[in-house]
Order: sequence, then C-alpha cells, then structure tokens
Amino acid sequence: MLLTYEKLGAWRWGLAIICVVVCMFLLLPILFICALSFGSSRWLIFPPPGWTLDWYRELFADPRWIGAALTSAKIGLIVTAVSVSLGLLASIALVRGKFKGRSLLRAFFLTPMVLPVVVLAVALYAAFLQLGLNGTLTGFVIAHVVVALPFAVITISGALENFDPAIEDAAVLCGASPWEARFRVTLPSIQHGLFSAAIFSFLISWDEVVLAIFMASPTLQTLPVKVWTTLRQDLTPVIAAASTLLVLLTLALMVAVPLLRKGKKQ
Amino acid sequence: MKSPYLHIKGIRKVFGPIVAADNVELEISEGEFLTFLGPSGSGKSTTLYILAGFQDPTAGDILLKGASLLSTPPHKRNIGMVFQRYTLFPHLSVGENVAFPLKVRRLSAADIDSRVKRALELVRLEGYEDRMPANMSGGQQQRVALARALVYNPPVLLMDEPLSALDKKLREEIQYEIRRIHQQTGVTILYVTHDQEEALRLSDRIAVFNQGKIEQVGTGPQLYASPSTRFVADFIGDSAFLEGVLTEISEQGASIRFADGSAISGVPVHGNAIVGNKAELMLRPERIELSCGVPDGRPSLRVTVEDITFLGNNTTVELSTGWGSKLAVRMHFGHPLISRIARGDALLVRCAPDTAHVFAAG
Repeated sequence: MLLTYEKLGAWRWGLAIICVVVCMFLLLPILFICALSFGSSRWLIFPPPGWTLDWYRELFADPRWIGAALTSAKIGLIVTAVSVSLGLLASIALVRGKFKGRSLLRAFFLTPMVLPVVVLAVALYAAFLQLGLNGTLTGFVIAHVVVALPFAVITISGALENFDPAIEDAAVLCGASPWEARFRVTLPSIQHGLFSAAIFSFLISWDEVVLAIFMASPTLQTLPVKVWTTLRQDLTPVIAAASTLLVLLTLALMVAVPLLRKGKKQ
Repeated sequence: MKSPYLHIKGIRKVFGPIVAADNVELEISEGEFLTFLGPSGSGKSTTLYILAGFQDPTAGDILLKGASLLSTPPHKRNIGMVFQRYTLFPHLSVGENVAFPLKVRRLSAADIDSRVKRALELVRLEGYEDRMPANMSGGQQQRVALARALVYNPPVLLMDEPLSALDKKLREEIQYEIRRIHQQTGVTILYVTHDQEEALRLSDRIAVFNQGKIEQVGTGPQLYASPSTRFVADFIGDSAFLEGVLTEISEQGASIRFADGSAISGVPVHGNAIVGNKAELMLRPERIELSCGVPDGRPSLRVTVEDITFLGNNTTVELSTGWGSKLAVRMHFGHPLISRIARGDALLVRCAPDTAHVFAAG
C-alpha cells in the first residue's frame, strides 16, 4: 500500500494533532453541558463556582419534564416497531424481489435522508392540517417513521444481502415449511440487522427536534421540544441536566448494543 | 416388470427460449451412487432442483418407488440435499443445525440427541456439537451439512457440487469421506459435478449431460473406453481429434483417410456415418505409441515433434501431423524414447485401432 501510516514520517504528528482537535470539537460542547448541569450557578457560568445536584432534583420534580420524557419514549418505541416492520418488508422486496424500477424504489426509500428536514416538516404540517393529525401521537409517529425508515431499510437490507437464500432452501428441504423457514432461520440470521435498525429508529425519534416542533401541541411534547421551548423562555441549568440525560441514554444504547451482541456470540 | 427405485421420466424444463433440460430419462436403483457430469448450463443442476422440488418441470415426471413426487411440496419430500454454497444456519450451533430437521419433525428430545450424535460420528465430527458454523473450515461445514441432510434417513441424497468451493487437497479428502459414508449408509446419492475426476472417483454410474440432454450413461470405465458421442469422448479423459474422410465402413469398423494420404482402418465408428463424409478420429494420449522406425505396414501416421514438456511422472510430447493437426502423446517417466527425441524430429504414431474411435461429423 502506498499510503500506510508507518511511511508518513513527520506527517504522523500533523495527523495526530488534527485528530485530537476534531475529537475535542465534537466532545467539548457535550462535556461543557454536562459540567454545567452539575454547576451551582443559576446563570450557566463556566467554570462552575461550585457543584450541586439541585437541577436534577428540579428536573425530576417537574411533571412537565417527566411527561415530555415519557412521551418521547412512547413515540420512540412505536416508531421503532413500525419502522423495523416496514423496513423488513421493504428490504425483502428490494433484496429478493426481481422487478423493474427496483433501484429507483430503493433511492425513493432513502430520499428522507437527503431531503432538508425543514422542508419535510412544512410539507407534513400542511398535509396533517387537512387530516387533523397535527399535535396527535399518530402525527408524531408518522413524521418520525418517515425519517427513521431509511436507516432501517439500509441496515436490514444490508443484513439480508449477506444472507444466502440457499440457506432458506436448505431449511425447507430439511422439512420446514416456507413460513417456518423464514421465522426459524431467516429472521434469526438477520437479527443483528433488525437490532441495529431498532436502535437507529429509536435514537432518531428520541433526538429529533425539527419535525417534533411542528407536530407538538401544548399538551403533547417530546423531550427535545421541551428543551427547546424552555430554552426560549429562560436559561435554567435544568436544560443542561435534561440534555445530559438525553446524551446519557443515547450513549448507553450505543454501548449496550455491541456488548449484547458480543455476549450472544459466546 | 419391477419399477425402478427412482425414475426420472422424460423431464423437460423450459425457461423462456432456453431448453434447460430436454427429455431427461434415468432409472436409478436403490443404494446407487449416480453422478450428473457436464459443463455449466448443461441441465444437470436444473434436473437436481426439479428433484428437490424447487422448480417444476415443463413436462415429465419423477417417480420414487413408483409414486410421483411432483405434487409433494419440497418440505414434505423428505429428500436430503447438500448445496454448493455453505448453507449451515449461521445462528445455530453444529448440534442445533443437525437437530433442526428432527425438531421440525417433532421427535422426542432423547431421540434427537442420540440421532445427532450418530450423524456427527458418521461425518467424524463428534464433539463439535457446540461449535458455531462461523468458526469452522469450509470442509467441516460441508461435513456438518452432510450430517444434517442424512440425519432423517432420506430415501435420496442430492449433492449439488458440494466441494467446488474447497481446495484440491481437501476436496480429495472429502471425496473419500463421501464414498465411505455412501458404503456405510447405503443411501441413494445423486451427485452433480463438472469435475470428471470427481465423478470417476465417486460414482457407480455417470450420466454425462450436454445442452440439456443426457449424452451417455455408464460406469466410468465404460464411458472412457467406449464413448458413444464426440462430446463424451472429449469431456472424459484427454483426447486428440484428427479430422479426415470416411472411406469405408465394414464389420471390422471404419476406415478414415487423412489429408496427407495416410489412413487408419478397423476403428469403431459412432454417429451418423456416411462414406465420403468428414469424420474425426479420436486418440487417447496414453494409448498412442511413438516410434522413430520406418512404416512396417501397421496403421500409422507421420508426425513432427513440436514440443516436449516434462511433467513429473510423465512427459507430454506435442506433435503435429503432415496436414497441420495437433495431438499429444503421454509417455511415462523413464521411457527410453524420451532422451532420443528432440523438437523437429520426424516420428511415427501408431495406435491399436480398437482403442481409437471415429465420430461422424455433424
């Protein structure tokens, strides 16, 4: 290979510095918010003059914050179920199907990834006005499924592409009916793809703010929307505490998945 | 008349304009090891997949012990199959893979355990029950697949080029394993391959496929010694073909004359032979005798040495005839002639007429 790390000589130091700077750029705001959530200053002063858990107490004492978190979790779980189911069916068609316009259909499924979210949000808002879905759970779920589905389709069809249909044939010759073969062999074989799709779908819904602002009503708010509206009213460190918890859950999911998969293999 | 154990009866399969299998007719007896040999696209795999039930024939029937299989869906045919690709269930251990057909058949746990154990012993993988397929070599995976296909005592075992993904040495090793397992279990095996050596090593009988049709069925030695078509002669073993004109057909065989005037007579003839038409003489490289003497009345051809290649246990001598055709002669190591010939030498080729064959052109 021409470009190996060992042959770079002095350039290696340059690369190392760039790497550190990029990592800091990505991580510092998160660490900053995390530190502020434990800081004793009401005005988000950095570095914090002292340390306290008051903001977390305030957060957990406020039913509006808890309600928003529960709404987020509920929407996230429904979105996960819908997105994985639809993603599986779409992937089967895209990977196994032999029909005209297959690659066009695949591109279509992925468009929400490249479409500006704001455009999507305005369009959905207009459409839901007609249907009376704005500010409803259904509206939230549909909007989030639209942005989560491309990720589900990518991960599940990736797993399905790596699964040789001959394995399904082998199960059938072993005496399993076609449905038995699909449920006992095909689905378990692509479970890592389904699992990743579920995590992605949940996290996308959990983090999503633009669509959620359009869909939200005073009584139905997700956690990111609550953070956003609170932020506009006053700059309380409770927001930092809520943000820290958001990041923590995301991190926990990202760490748990590879660990679970590793544990299963052994 | 007793009906055959397995009867492939006039199977025809058409994909659009392509005839994949054309009136394939075969009778297989119980416990036989029969190989479908042919190049890719010759219809051998199509025939096997029709047997498995993954494809329906356009016409014809499959009879097992006298009863048609065609209306039975594949999962109820009870047939065993080992595929070309690795088809172990990746999320199940070796033991669970072999147990799968028995679990689907709802056998008791104790029965399953003892049968899985026996099947793994048969393929010499006892103690591998808890391994995952991803942690096994290709050869081991195919042996597990074999155990999985045999564990429910199928009446017929289909094998679709199961060793084509393995390297040569491993392939030979598993070929002997398959032979041993066939002898030990007495299961009827239909085996598909494009490798003539594999077919010869394994089979009781070989069916040679070409362009959707069976060209010839017979034991290995039968196919090698008396091929009934040019295709079989070309596909099984090495052979040289020399083009000439048929000059006579008699009880003793055919006579063929070549462009330089030399002729060979008394050769068995195949195909639609008409005197005066073009024909080809087939010679096996190890049945040709080379000499530097003068013609002595025995049938012979004048040739020139083009190249000499040492290949270990034999030396191949490339020759060209007076009219420009090429043929090769194989001489075993230490043959006295080898050290005396060189490129450009003029020699004589002799062959016993009954080891050669004439195939009518067209």
